[in-house]
Amino acid sequence: MKKALALLLALIMALSLGAVAYADGVTLNVVTSYGGDDGNRGNFEAAVKAYEASTGNKVNDGSATSNEEWKAKVLTDFETGSEPDVLFFFTNADAEPFIKADKVVSIEEIRAEYPDYASNMRDSMLAVASDGKQYAVPSYGYWENMFVNKAVLDDCGIAVPGPDYTWDQFLADCETIKGNGYTPIACSLVEVPHYWFEFLVMNNGTVENHLDVPASVDDEAGAKWVAALEDFKTLYEAGYFPANTLTASDAETVEMFNQGEAAFLIDGSWKVGYFTENAADLNDFAISYVPAKGERKASEAIGGISMGYFITRKAWDDPAKREAAVEFVTQLTSDEVLSTFVTTEVTALINGAKPSGLNPLQQSAADANANITAIAGAVQDTITGEAKADLFGNIQNVVTGKMSAADAVAAAIALN
Amino acid sequence: MNSMIYKNKKPLLVFLIPAFAFLIVFLYYPFFQNVVNTFLKIGGLGRAPEGLNTPWYENYQRLFTDPYMHTALKNTLLLTLCTIVFQVGIALILALLVDTIRVGTQFFRTVYFFPIVISATALGLMFNLIFLYKGGMVNQLLLSLGKLPYEVKPSGKVLVEWLDWKDQAHFLFTMFMPVMWQYVGFYFVILVTGLNNISPDLFEAAALDGADGWKRTRYITLPLLRNVLCTCLVLAITGALKVFDLPWVMFGAGMPENQGWLTGTYMYDQTFNRMNVDYGSTIAVLIVVLGVVLSNAANRIFRPSEDL
Amino acid sequence: MNYGTKRIPHILTYLVLSLWALTTIYPFIWVALNSFRKKGLILSDSFSIPLGESFTWDNYITAWQRADFKNAYLNSFLISGTVTVFVVIIAGLAAYGLVRYRFRGRNLLYSLIMAGMMFPVFSTIIPVFRLEVMLGIAGTGNRWLSLLAVILPQIAGNLCFAIIILMGFIQSVPIDLEESAYLDGCSVFQIYFHIIMPAAKSSFATVAIFAFLWSYNDLFTQSFFLRYPQERAITGLLNEISSQAGVNYGLMASSVVLVVIPVLIVYICLQKHIIRGLTAGAIKG
Repeated sequence: MKKALALLLALIMALSLGAVAYADGVTLNVVTSYGGDDGNRGNFEAAVKAYEASTGNKVNDGSATSNEEWKAKVLTDFETGSEPDVLFFFTNADAEPFIKADKVVSIEEIRAEYPDYASNMRDSMLAVASDGKQYAVPSYGYWENMFVNKAVLDDCGIAVPGPDYTWDQFLADCETIKGNGYTPIACSLVEVPHYWFEFLVMNNGTVENHLDVPASVDDEAGAKWVAALEDFKTLYEAGYFPANTLTASDAETVEMFNQGEAAFLIDGSWKVGYFTENAADLNDFAISYVPAKGERKASEAIGGISMGYFITRKAWDDPAKREAAVEFVTQLTSDEVLSTFVTTEVTALINGAKPSGLNPLQQSAADANANITAIAGAVQDTITGEAKADLFGNIQNVVTGKMSAADAVAAAIALN
Repeated sequence: MNSMIYKNKKPLLVFLIPAFAFLIVFLYYPFFQNVVNTFLKIGGLGRAPEGLNTPWYENYQRLFTDPYMHTALKNTLLLTLCTIVFQVGIALILALLVDTIRVGTQFFRTVYFFPIVISATALGLMFNLIFLYKGGMVNQLLLSLGKLPYEVKPSGKVLVEWLDWKDQAHFLFTMFMPVMWQYVGFYFVILVTGLNNISPDLFEAAALDGADGWKRTRYITLPLLRNVLCTCLVLAITGALKVFDLPWVMFGAGMPENQGWLTGTYMYDQTFNRMNVDYGSTIAVLIVVLGVVLSNAANRIFRPSEDL
Repeated sequence: MNYGTKRIPHILTYLVLSLWALTTIYPFIWVALNSFRKKGLILSDSFSIPLGESFTWDNYITAWQRADFKNAYLNSFLISGTVTVFVVIIAGLAAYGLVRYRFRGRNLLYSLIMAGMMFPVFSTIIPVFRLEVMLGIAGTGNRWLSLLAVILPQIAGNLCFAIIILMGFIQSVPIDLEESAYLDGCSVFQIYFHIIMPAAKSSFATVAIFAFLWSYNDLFTQSFFLRYPQERAITGLLNEISSQAGVNYGLMASSVVLVVIPVLIVYICLQKHIIRGLTAGAIKG
């Protein structure tokens, strides 16, 4: 018992000593989404090291994997006053709580003192908050499009779809693929239906009105959301999704696509890295186009810039940290650094990014992107987290007929 | 058994204050906050409440009308029952058996505890591989035994109808089995410790009186173990009500088709995924109330003396 | 424990016990075996012993390179060690007081403790977080304060369970021992330290094991308070690696092994202690 007590006292002393001996140079607390499995984690860490070396400042890097839980934690930090100095975060509705609370500094205010701040960016491509100001300096954007497994298509005698791919052709192809014993569409309806949701909505509307959020089930946007959910049901009833799509994880369905058991997968630019690392032969895969219905063209896709660097009010008001924070964002968004991040994604850089040494899949993505005629942001990013969770959670109820598409959309609208 | 020693109540403060200081600051006060939150409208974890709900008991009304909540309650009560019968039951049998052997006792004690040592994240991953749809351990076994139907396509491709262990017909087994398996060792350790606290003299006396085997178990061991068994029962009930991590790793949000909710996973989903902080808090209150009621009932029924 | 002759045929007993042991050991061996298997082979062949072609150290090398295990071990042991020591001391005192004293409000306190065991951690974490930020403990970016921020709620979270368990055992300690010590002139505290604690030694060890394990494996609290790399504890590290690993099951398996080994060592150490506690034969009916 005495030993334990002695140990305990020693611990407490160590803890309190540690608390005191911590005040050397400028240390920036930085939180980003470049943690976990992010493909650019290595690039980010290298850029941070370079910053530390060139300035002598220290970076306390609290990066994590971006998901709803992470977003909630970041918002909680602002609420409780424990926010970081620099934050790399979503620039859409998610950022509104701390923008409204005046917890971050606008680019305009920073430029009053540092006129060159973010001068390498096209201002027109920076996200505008609800108060009309711009806050975040973007790093790079994203695209969402259709990945195809060429080996599976070959085996079924189907050519890789081009930018004129139609919905009817797609349905016919799915039937052929299914008849050959493959799964046409790799998708976990229970976990990640949102990529398909975006394109099905756009298929029932246009790229221009894609971001319209319904105010009621009966308005134009409401009608296209309902039609999108009904398209889900059509595909489900035809048996084009995996047999266990209502219980499979996203990792499982992506892997079945990777293993050559499914033909089509809609996913984002971040998935290219997954195949680069895990595919047996990258030449088996290509980036194609999502089949189009109605007014939409298959060459129209989802994409944009959804994240950027914020400097918090807390850091700005701290004379020791202001300069360090501005320098950090400037270095992390320089042309040279961003060119290491960008491979085929959208960029706001005035001079554009100059990626080099693309692998076959990245090349395929670059080729497909060259044919893209228009992009729209993801409409799911503009609705509240609760509405989103409810809507996507109800897709399984709609396809199994437990709930009507209109009811599902109405429930989501009520939560938005 | 109120001895002379304990008539002087002053030292009691020293015994109780440290524990309750901790509990009040880091458990009761936060939970009180949680109860307050059930009446407020809170749209996000970090956000300040936007005033009272209308009516203020809205969330409690919702508990009764929410079909997913009914599913969660039904599943959780079933899990509680299974936990009591199988978890504590198997643990008791194993503990009694281990008590009769001399060689290898320590070995069994050590290995029965392994599943608790491994974190739920790792176990969930493991069970996901075991029950994996295509090529999981169980399905591979079934296929090699010829229990799965398959079809050969003209192209020569073999199509196997894999068994989906997470569908509506099988999910209860797939969800409950790992949870129960993991914690048998937990009750086993508690029961064995309880058995070892029973004085050997009692058994020697019983042996002299000619009582042995099941008689000894029935008339000496089990009655003396009653307190410990009762503790196990209470732990099993409270544990089952808030079971979360393994089902969450394996089934996520209510899989399959919203039939797989448990009170623990439903509460987590409402609070952290749907930002429905006030409703999530209400489910937490329900979990606590149910736990108190059920464990009190268990205590009433099984605890021998009037003594707590 | 040498009473009488055996009744159930020993072979049957051993058979049943071994069967269960198999279910608890095998998954562990399975994970360990697959941690040495080459990437991509797990799904096709996870049951053989990885020899020759399929054997590799790579998973361990990658795991060790990708993450700062040494630092995370240190953090985890600081957190879980402190939590264990505090829980054992504080819960022991409270359980003793609650079992032996009769006073008004005793039943109320007992019910409070029972209720406390049922509070889901998700419902208390946000108020605790706010409180700790207010006190300047959480969210400072200072490693030691962040560790403390995890320790405090974890102590509180483990107390109720520990008190309930210890009460069960202290109740079964015969009061005669205490009475004779009292007649010999011992104070209540001396009775507690010299009679109760040794008598319920195995129970204290049991509680210590559980406190340590729960603290060590409690990913949720850790991930809430420990954000920066130098603060990260071992379970958080496992989560981090497994989220990076994708379908690299071998890397996950090796990280699981690296995470589990220290707990196993702690468990096996305390386990010996339990055996000693009971062979000492402290309790005389």
